[in-house]
Amino acid sequence: MSAPRYDRLEDVVLDDLFPEVDLALRRGRHVDRDDADLYAFITDAQDQLEAFFRRYGCELVHRSEGYFYLLPTSDRLGRRHLSSTEMLVGQALTLLYLDPTTTENGGVISREQLLSHLAGVMGTDALVRAMSPKRKKVDQRVAEEATRTKVAEAVRRLASLGFVELLEDGATRLRPALMRFAEPVRGTAAPEAALERLVASGEVVLTDDGDEPGEANDLDDSSEGDERGDLDDSSEGDERGDLAEEPEEAR
Amino acid sequence: MTTDPNRVLAYLARERPSLELSTVDLCFVAALHLRANVTSTSSFQEDQLVDVFEEVVRVLEPTGEPQGKRASAAIRRLREQRLLARVDGAGVVRAGEFALTRLAAAIVEFFLEEESLTRETLAVLMRTLLTSLADIAAAAASAQTPEDWRLGVATPLRVIIGDLAGGVERRQRGFDLHQVELQKEIGALLGAEWFGAIERSQALLETTSATLRELNQVLMKDTQEAHARLQDVLDRAAAVEPGEVDDGAREGIAEAESAVKEAGDQLDRIAAWGSARQRAWSDHYQYVHRYLRDVVRLDPSRMLTQRLRDQLTGKSGRPFALTIAAAPAIRLLRPLVTPPEERPPVRRPRKEREAEPAVVAALDAQAVLTEKVRAALSEGASTLRDVTDRLTSNLPESERFLAAGRVAETVAALCRPDAGAERPWVPLSAGIAIEEWSVPGSGKGSAA
Repeated sequence: MSAPRYDRLEDVVLDDLFPEVDLALRRGRHVDRDDADLYAFITDAQDQLEAFFRRYGCELVHRSEGYFYLLPTSDRLGRRHLSSTEMLVGQALTLLYLDPTTTENGGVISREQLLSHLAGVMGTDALVRAMSPKRKKVDQRVAEEATRTKVAEAVRRLASLGFVELLEDGATRLRPALMRFAEPVRGTAAPEAALERLVASGEVVLTDDGDEPGEANDLDDSSEGDERGDLDDSSEGDERGDLAEEPEEAR
Repeated sequence: MTTDPNRVLAYLARERPSLELSTVDLCFVAALHLRANVTSTSSFQEDQLVDVFEEVVRVLEPTGEPQGKRASAAIRRLREQRLLARVDGAGVVRAGEFALTRLAAAIVEFFLEEESLTRETLAVLMRTLLTSLADIAAAAASAQTPEDWRLGVATPLRVIIGDLAGGVERRQRGFDLHQVELQKEIGALLGAEWFGAIERSQALLETTSATLRELNQVLMKDTQEAHARLQDVLDRAAAVEPGEVDDGAREGIAEAESAVKEAGDQLDRIAAWGSARQRAWSDHYQYVHRYLRDVVRLDPSRMLTQRLRDQLTGKSGRPFALTIAAAPAIRLLRPLVTPPEERPPVRRPRKEREAEPAVVAALDAQAVLTEKVRAALSEGASTLRDVTDRLTSNLPESERFLAAGRVAETVAALCRPDAGAERPWVPLSAGIAIEEWSVPGSGKGSAA
């Protein structure tokens, strides 16, 4: 067994990769084996980093599928919860990740595949309603266009969190961190019990239908400016709305 | 034929070739190809063609209509598309004799003959290629005449090396197809058998990885050696002194150099294929292995997919949202920038700025001066100098001389100054001197 690469926290902090890893984790990024250098750095410095982030009220979590992420367990560091759109799209992407046919292309799927899978599982009407719950009467064509836009935006935001990777020409590579979306239904326990355990550990929050989760702490507008900068007006408004309030369970 | 893409496209656009083959036509061509192989014949009589076509139709359409006219139509279609050629040249004298063309043979070979690259085929092809290259290098070493260079070096390079390297490339494409099918096969295996397919999937992955590794090793080693042999030919061509050979030989050498370059490019392509495929396969290999380990092995009963599907559709569990870290970015204050002052809004003037002209009395400068002189006299000025001083001391220096003259004129007009025979000149300020006059009414009296 080889000796640990870092003996002291000082050595970890002085490494050139530390700032990048630190910022990525604090912004909710999931780091997996495809992020070769970052993943190797976290693995080597895991003991020091766990102690370091614990002082900020966060847990550095390492899953068996081979990815790291930061889970805030107190209010010291900003946190947020994924919007309902992101959750829907994330779960559909996880279904595709589990589908053996995606191994043909090394886990690369097209935007059309995702949309048809979502529509196939949920039904087109249910999907459109889920994407625009507040709209009562809308033109079908406009609603479908809005759904496509929202799905694309959700994929982009999930990519910034390391759940997927955006490739050229609209293709998306599925990454192991997607398995977080399947956490409540993994294992042999009943989904309700698993969900309770996850809520207790702070991994997830429960949401009611039509209730949008949001940030636990007030985020500075600039904190995700780079991610929101190129949103179109409609989606930006909706996404900001998604982040506006936090349900009672989260507080 | 030229290799210039523009010319090739222009040629094809002009000739407008097209291929349209139904399954029956394709099977007809394949059947002819197989019959030719079995009977070792190179051509067919017309009635033989009809027989083969009828056999094909019987297999494909057991309840089909009579085939007489259809056979003629099929033969015509194949001839029009240059898949079948008449080879006897007898015209209307007797029934024709037909043979499959190179195009037809290529199409049939694509469908029937599995020509994938294996370690054995690659090794044989590359060994043959290296042996031929050694012969060509020896021919180049002893080449003297233009014919030696052309027939001993350039032509063998183009024909033998080109064909051998082309054979490797063709098999590489076959291997690519095989690999795509293998990737599909693994996906289908997992879809059908899930946990039971792990061993077989891993075996397929390992076999392909080993094959690719071996192919790449052979390609790397042999292409390097082939390049060395080509370099020998180039060195020999470069060693020929310009004065040593005539123009014809120089052309032959240039042709050989061009053929060496073409062969080198072809070898580079072959070698690049190996490393590119190994990289691509490595990614796929890792992904599938990870999938087998993290998904299939951890969910042997394949329940996870169904439970996740139920969760997504809301059939089970409650809606939830994942928690993620979202620390705000460090706030960096920007330097203060004073906003530009607001400009007053543009307005329409409320009234005319230009006042209407009014009639006013004209200013009489002389009358004013007269008044001033009169006032000075009444205040007790007794000499012209005194009056002039009072009225010009406040004027600019440049105007004083002129004003002094006018003052004297006005004084003379208002009173009768006394002027003696001797009138002294007295200085004023600004370097002006005037004659001194005594003004009446004053004690002293003086004259200008």
